[in-house]
Amino acid sequence: MSDTITIRVKCFSHVKQALKKDELALSIPKGSSTDVVINAVLDMAGGKLNAIKMRVAVNHSYEPEPIMLKEGDEVALIPPVQGG
Amino acid sequence: MIKTEIINGPITPFQSDDNHRDDGAEVVFNGRVRDTENGKQIIALEYEHYEKMTEKEIQALAEEAAKKFPIRDLSCRHRIGKVPVGEASLHVSIWAEHRQEAIQGLDWFIRELKKRVPVWKWAVYPDGTKEASSHESC
Repeated sequence: MSDTITIRVKCFSHVKQALKKDELALSIPKGSSTDVVINAVLDMAGGKLNAIKMRVAVNHSYEPEPIMLKEGDEVALIPPVQGG
Repeated sequence: MIKTEIINGPITPFQSDDNHRDDGAEVVFNGRVRDTENGKQIIALEYEHYEKMTEKEIQALAEEAAKKFPIRDLSCRHRIGKVPVGEASLHVSIWAEHRQEAIQGLDWFIRELKKRVPVWKWAVYPDGTKEASSHESC
C-alpha cells in the first residue's frame, strides 16, 4: 500500500504567475495536512510568494484551519481576492 | 429576491422597476475599470475566478446580506474575463424600505465580496502583456 497520496492543486493570480501553471498534481505523504501543500508551493515558488497571505480551499470550500487531506482532494491556494 | 450571476461578457443592467410599492429605496452600483492599475496605464482588467467556488460564495454572501440588513431584493452581476477600461465589472441593485439600510447593505455586500469571493484581477497593459494585480490595489 502506498505511503503517499496525490492531490490536485489549483493556482490563481500570483500563485499562477509564480509557478507558471494553473494546476498541478502533488504527491505528499499520507496523513499530510493543507499546511504541507502550502509549504510545498512556497518552496516551488522560490520566495516569490513569501509576502502573500494565502487562504486554502479544499474541494471548493474555505478551510480556515489546517485539515488532513485524502487521495484526489482538490486544494486551491487563495491569494487575497480582488473582485468588484 | 436574491439573484446573483457570473457573466463572461458585457453586463446588462437590471431593469429599474416601478412596482416595488413597499420600497422607498432602490440603490444601484456599477463598479467600472479605471485606466490605471498598480500605478501604470492599462487597457483592461482581466478577471480570473475559481469557477467551482465563485457562484456559491457570491450567492451565500447575498443571502447573508439579506439576513443582516432589512433588504427586500438584492441582485448582482459580476463580470469575469477581459473587461476594457470604462466598462462595468460589477453591477449591484438593492431594494429596501428605507435609504439607509439599502446603502449600508450595499456597502457591506461589496466590502465582503472583496474579501471572500474568489476573483482576481490581472492588469492588461497597452503592449498586450499582463500581470497579476498587486494586492494593494484591491
